[in-house]
Amino acid sequence: MATVANQVGAPAPTRQRSKGLSEKALARLMVSPSMILIALVAAWPVIYAIWLSLHQYSVRVAGLSRWVGVDNYWTSGLSNPDWRSALYHTLIFTVVSVSFEVVIGLGMALAMHRAFRGQGLLRTVVLVPWAVLTVVTAVMWRTMFVSPYGFVNTILGTHTVWLGQTPYALIIVILADVWKTSPFIALLLLAGLQVIPDDIYEAAKVDGATTWQQFVRITLPLLKPAILVALIFRTLDALRIFDLPYVLTQGTVGTSTLSTISQQTFATNRLYGEGSAQAILAFIIVMMVSFAYIRFIGGNIRGMTAE
Amino acid sequence: MRRGLGIAVLTAIALAVTACGSSGSSGSKTTGGSGSGGGGGSSSASVSGAKTLQASALDNPPKGTITYCTGKDTTGDAAYTVAQFNAKYGAQGYHANLVQFPASADQQRAQFIQRQQAKSSSCDVFSSDVIWTAEFSSQHWLYDLTPYVSANASKFIAAPLDTVHYGGKYWGIPQTSDAAFIYYKTGEAVPSTWQQVYSAAKNSGGIVYQGAPYEGLTCNFLELAFAAGGQVLSADGKKSAINSPQNLAALQLMVSGIKGGSAPQAVTTYMEPESDQAFDTGKYGYLRNWTYAYAVHNTTGALKGKIHAAPLPTFAGAGKASILGGHNSVISVYSQDPGLALKFADFFASPAMQKAAILKFSLAAIIPSVYKDPDVLKAVPYAPQLLQALDQAKARPVSPVYPQISQAIYTNVNNALAGRESPQAALKAADSQINSALSTF
Repeated sequence: MATVANQVGAPAPTRQRSKGLSEKALARLMVSPSMILIALVAAWPVIYAIWLSLHQYSVRVAGLSRWVGVDNYWTSGLSNPDWRSALYHTLIFTVVSVSFEVVIGLGMALAMHRAFRGQGLLRTVVLVPWAVLTVVTAVMWRTMFVSPYGFVNTILGTHTVWLGQTPYALIIVILADVWKTSPFIALLLLAGLQVIPDDIYEAAKVDGATTWQQFVRITLPLLKPAILVALIFRTLDALRIFDLPYVLTQGTVGTSTLSTISQQTFATNRLYGEGSAQAILAFIIVMMVSFAYIRFIGGNIRGMTAE
Repeated sequence: MRRGLGIAVLTAIALAVTACGSSGSSGSKTTGGSGSGGGGGSSSASVSGAKTLQASALDNPPKGTITYCTGKDTTGDAAYTVAQFNAKYGAQGYHANLVQFPASADQQRAQFIQRQQAKSSSCDVFSSDVIWTAEFSSQHWLYDLTPYVSANASKFIAAPLDTVHYGGKYWGIPQTSDAAFIYYKTGEAVPSTWQQVYSAAKNSGGIVYQGAPYEGLTCNFLELAFAAGGQVLSADGKKSAINSPQNLAALQLMVSGIKGGSAPQAVTTYMEPESDQAFDTGKYGYLRNWTYAYAVHNTTGALKGKIHAAPLPTFAGAGKASILGGHNSVISVYSQDPGLALKFADFFASPAMQKAAILKFSLAAIIPSVYKDPDVLKAVPYAPQLLQALDQAKARPVSPVYPQISQAIYTNVNNALAGRESPQAALKAADSQINSALSTF
């Protein structure tokens, strides 16, 4: 954010040398409108949220607020058991759902890539879950697992209270996310598969490579950039998951996430300072993961594409 | 260089992404004196410096149009009342507009709060849930209507009137009320104590209620707890009183009901629609739900014509209680024509409109005379039970931190019902969470 803020602070364009603008000043002048726009829509809300997070706003007395520094980050965030369990659920959700989505999405992409009759139909069918609104997905899964008359219990002949028990509720949130988002990964990977030239496979066949060897030695390495892009997208998305747990279980029964807890604090309890601190903590976590990806994997992507 | 660019782009994405979470807040928050907030709870129940609206303001207000904001008008009562108001007063130059907010109570509250923070005059009258009075009035968003209410207090049923009372003043006019019933199928025993409900339920398929962790569970629990003689807050409202033997007895009855098979384990995930659907399967003998459920089950569905409603029973060895639902008309301090707004709120509470509310829209009226009206008695067979339920009703704790108090109750009660915590541990946890909520700045 410092990067953006600095750039924002320096749009002052008209430092004239002799006659007219120097090339540098001209460049700044021309870039400034988009910088100002970014400042307005991206930087300002975050700066405002940081400002809120350093205060407490009274829920008792109209208009009363006080400066508390970073207290909110400690009391409502790092030292707060509810926030910590939300962090824990979010991390589990992210790791498990993204892993399954990448594996299943890869399988779907490979199936869709094969030329066969009905290929168009398969591609359409596979994409349906991605086209369904997330909230609708959540309501659908809720209906399936509602106890005792949801059809999952009917089929299994059980009376399990799926959405009211600690491990199951989170598992269903994960299942719903995998169902919905695997097609998105499949789509990204399909695009990646289509740019791998056929002659490489032909050459491999000539050299006597088996299908498995082709997959491991050709498909996977050449698909790596696409897989990594999909990973980044999905991880950042998963860390912010809100709608599925909110609709399925209202973020209770072991499904609270970083987003549901800050929404609860901010909107329901109207603790603007504490809620903002929780949102900024989530922001910092997303940032750290982004940087980790850039650092360890981003270079990898450029290495790949440069070859 | 390219790496730097990549980082900048990702930063921008992350910024945009997280900004969504917080930008919704950017209503203008006035930053008042940044004093130490000394004394904390000492001002817990007084609101000073609010604007007062005189009762006479409704007599000859400036001509114009006011806007009535309410949740989604599912019954049609709001549209009807606005149409009647316009028909009666339109010729004199007085008009009302209807604006509908979403159906969810949380969304209605958020919509109203956004407008008040922006000092917007776009809602003159708001249909406020009975639990929001303390919060809205302590933020100086409502007109103090004490002069009007004091002059008219005898017209209203006492319990709904209590829900507009906070810090010694009245902040609204009751509009509609609500209380829960025990519904039972023809042939089941008529329950007279909660203990009987649970033992009879065991042999009749069970009782279904709303046990999911949300506001509805707070009501379900407090009905038993208040009947058993329990309290949520101490008399001065400064400390939690949730961890008491009375509340424990109530919670233990609910928990053993699930363990012993009087209620299905699945009630811990039920809100109103799920409990209605479960009851409609005919497998369960009893249902706890609000007034609306009578019409739902008796006019449509599998159990049509076989449903009876009883006011909530007593807790053996103690008393009886209902939890009050419903809405009040509150008047925004940013209204341009508060006199006309008061005239509208007064019209909403008039006998004619209240009679229509119960007759046409199955809503609980807030003036007692309506329940003795021959037309009402004929069309609404449960009217006497409803009045009885309202008479025995108690309000939920009145506090500006009510959302946190309720959250402490429903989360821990749900934990106990689902067997994740013992009833003792659940009340102890709720106790410390409520105390920390009460110390909120």
